[in-house]
Amino acid sequence: MYQYTEVDQKLVDERVAQYRDQTRRYLAGELPDEEFRALRLMNGLYIQRQAPMLRVAVPYGLMSSNQLRKLAHIARTYDKGYGHFTTRTNIQYNWPTLESVPDILAELAQVQMHAIQTSGNCIRNTTTDPYAGVIASELEDPRPWCEIIRQWSTLHPEFAYLPRKFKIAVTGGPEDRAASQVHDIGLHLVKNDAGETGFEVLVGGGLGRTPVIGKQINPFLAPQDLLSYLEAIIRVYNLNGRRDNKYKARIKILVNAMGIDAFREQVEAEWADIRESDLRLSQGEIEKVKAQFAPPAYEADATNNDLHAQLTENEEFRVWFERNTVQHKVAGYRIVVVSLKPYLKAPGDITDIQMEAVADLADRFSFGEIRATHHQNLVLADVKQGDLLEVWKILHANNLARPNIGTLTDMIVCPGFDFCGLANAKTLNIAEQINEKFENVDYMHDIGEIRLNMSGCINACAHHHVGHIGILGVDKKGEDWYQFTLGGSSEADAALGKSIGKAIAADEVANTIEKILLAYIDQRDSEAESFLEVVRRVGVEPFKEAVYAADH
Amino acid sequence: MPLIIDRTPVAEDKWITPAEDQAIPADGAIILPLAQWLENRDALAGREIGVQVNGDDDLDQVLALNGQVELIAVEFPAFTDGRGFSIARLLRRAGYKGQLRAVGDVTQDRLAHMERCGFDALQVPEDRFKPEVLNAFDEMSVRYQGGASVTRPAYPQS
Repeated sequence: MYQYTEVDQKLVDERVAQYRDQTRRYLAGELPDEEFRALRLMNGLYIQRQAPMLRVAVPYGLMSSNQLRKLAHIARTYDKGYGHFTTRTNIQYNWPTLESVPDILAELAQVQMHAIQTSGNCIRNTTTDPYAGVIASELEDPRPWCEIIRQWSTLHPEFAYLPRKFKIAVTGGPEDRAASQVHDIGLHLVKNDAGETGFEVLVGGGLGRTPVIGKQINPFLAPQDLLSYLEAIIRVYNLNGRRDNKYKARIKILVNAMGIDAFREQVEAEWADIRESDLRLSQGEIEKVKAQFAPPAYEADATNNDLHAQLTENEEFRVWFERNTVQHKVAGYRIVVVSLKPYLKAPGDITDIQMEAVADLADRFSFGEIRATHHQNLVLADVKQGDLLEVWKILHANNLARPNIGTLTDMIVCPGFDFCGLANAKTLNIAEQINEKFENVDYMHDIGEIRLNMSGCINACAHHHVGHIGILGVDKKGEDWYQFTLGGSSEADAALGKSIGKAIAADEVANTIEKILLAYIDQRDSEAESFLEVVRRVGVEPFKEAVYAADH
Repeated sequence: MPLIIDRTPVAEDKWITPAEDQAIPADGAIILPLAQWLENRDALAGREIGVQVNGDDDLDQVLALNGQVELIAVEFPAFTDGRGFSIARLLRRAGYKGQLRAVGDVTQDRLAHMERCGFDALQVPEDRFKPEVLNAFDEMSVRYQGGASVTRPAYPQS
C-alpha cells in the first residue's frame, strides 16, 4: 500500500497543529460557532445527539494492521471501546470529547492517518472496490488512481468551500462494488477500441432527497488527463452550483438543470484551457504511484492444501466458506470477508478487541493489510486457502464469522436516531427486529443474494434507494414509520428502487420483509432467479399485493 | 479595515470604496461595483479605477476586466461562499497582473487558500484582525496541488 513520503507526513502533522489552534480559538471564543462548524466538519467532527462524532478517513478503504491497531487504541482510549465503519469506508467514533479531538488526530498522524475532508462541503474520501487488485475480472487496479486523487484533492485551496459535499468513486472493472453510479463523479477504468486503458467518466449521480443515477460526461478519458478533467468539472460546479438552498446544491441538481450536454460543453471549454498544464500526469508519476500497489509476494505452492477435506468435514466452516469468501485471481488464495453484521449488533460496529484480532489475522495471513467495504464489512484480501480454517476459527471466536455476506442480515444501516442529529427515525432497533425474525428461518438459505439498505432519514446515508429492499425511516407525529422501495441496485446495473406504497409501522417491518420474501419465492421461475431479477421482471405490483393484502 | 498585502499589514490604502448610495467621488482611487463601472466607464476614463465583483456577476465580464483596471476586488459574501477562489484562479490564469483583493468575509482560516488562488491583498474585517492571523500563511508548509503562482503539484517532487 501507499507509504507516506516526508511531504505527506508533514502535511498531516501540520494539519493537526492547525486544527489544534482552531479548536483553541473556538474554545476561547475567538471563532464564531458557524465558522468553527465549517472548520471542524472539514476535519470530520460533527456535534451529535449524544456527543461529538469523529469520522476518520480510511483512504479508499485500505488500512495496514498497524493503522487498525491504532484505531482500536483510539476506540479504547477516547471512546467507549468501539467504532463504526461507514459506506464511505471510513470509521466513526461516537463518543469522543471535542477537547480530545486534537490529541486523537495527533495519534492518527503517527500512523499516517487523519480526518481531513471526511465531512464538510469539500472533496471527500475517494472510494473503490474492496477487491481491488485481487479480483480476476478487473482491468487494472484502481487504487493508484484513488491515491493520485487523494493527493490532488487533499487541502485543495480552490475547492474547500464548494456548494456542497463532493464524492468520487473509482472502479477497476465491469463489476461495481463502489456504488460509483450514485456518486458526484464515477470513474470506470475501461478499454477503448484501440485497446488503451482510460476512464469512462460519470457525473451527477447521488442519493439523498433527489436520487439520480450518474450520467456519462466522457466515454473515454486518457489517464494522464485525469486531474485536469476533474478540476474542470469541479471548477464549473464551484462557480455555478446553487448556494441558496443546501438541498439543491449538489452537482446532480446543476447537471439536471443545465442538461448533461450543456454541462459537458462548459466542462470541455474549461478543460481545453488546463489540459496541457502541469496537471497532466507524466507516465513516470503514474508508474511511481502504481509501484506502491504492486502485488504482494504470493506463494507458488499455495494450491497445496487440505481445504477440500476440511470443507467436507466441517459443515459450519463450509457454509462460511461459501458465503463469506470470494475467488481470488491467484490460484491457492481466497478473499475473506469479515462480517461486521453479527447477530443483534449494530451493523458496521466493531470493538477494539475485534479490531486487534483482525489486525493480528492480517499480519499472520494476509500481508498485513485490511480493507473496509462499502457494505460496512472488512476484507482480508490475500488469504492462502490452507490458512482459511485457522482464519475462520479466530474470526468465529471473535464473533466476526457470521455467514451472511450478501444476505438479508448483511444490511447497510446508518446509526439512525439513537446517535445521529439528522435522523428522523431509529434504525438499530429495526435491524435487531430483522435479525431476530430471520435468524432461524429455513428458507433464508435458498434466498440467495439480497441487499437490504436502511436509512433513518432522507439524507440516505445507508443508500436505501439502491437497496434491493430499501427502507427509509420517517417520523409521523412522533412515531417511527418505514417506507419500502424495491428493485434498487448500486452495482453495474444501478437503478433506484420503486416505492411499494404507504409507510409501515415500526413493529411490522420484519413481517413486511417476510411477506416480500415469500412473494419472491412464489414469483421466481427457479432458485437461480435472484430477488432483483424477479422484481425487475414482474414489477412491484405482486409485492404490493402481498404486503397490503390485509388492507383490502 | 486591516489590509494585508503580500503577507504584510499595510497602514495606507489609497483606494476608496464609496457606499452604495454615495455619489462617485470626484477624485482619488475608487473601487466600484462591476455594474456601476460598466455604466460609467467612459466618464471615468483616465481615473484610477478598481472594480469589485462577486460570484453573481457574469464571468465573461469579470474576466474582461483584465487589462482594463488597476485593481479587482473579489467579494466573499459569506465564508461558505467559495466562488471567489475560482474567480481568482481564472483571473490570474487570464494574465491579470494588478492587485487582486479579497473583501467581505475574509478571515484567518481562509487566508492561505486565498493567497494560493492568486490574491495578493486581503482585507480582513476589523473585529477579526489580530497580528496572529498572519500565522495563517505558515500553518501548512507543504501542498499537493499547484496554485496561481506555483503550478507544480507535490507528488512529482517527492
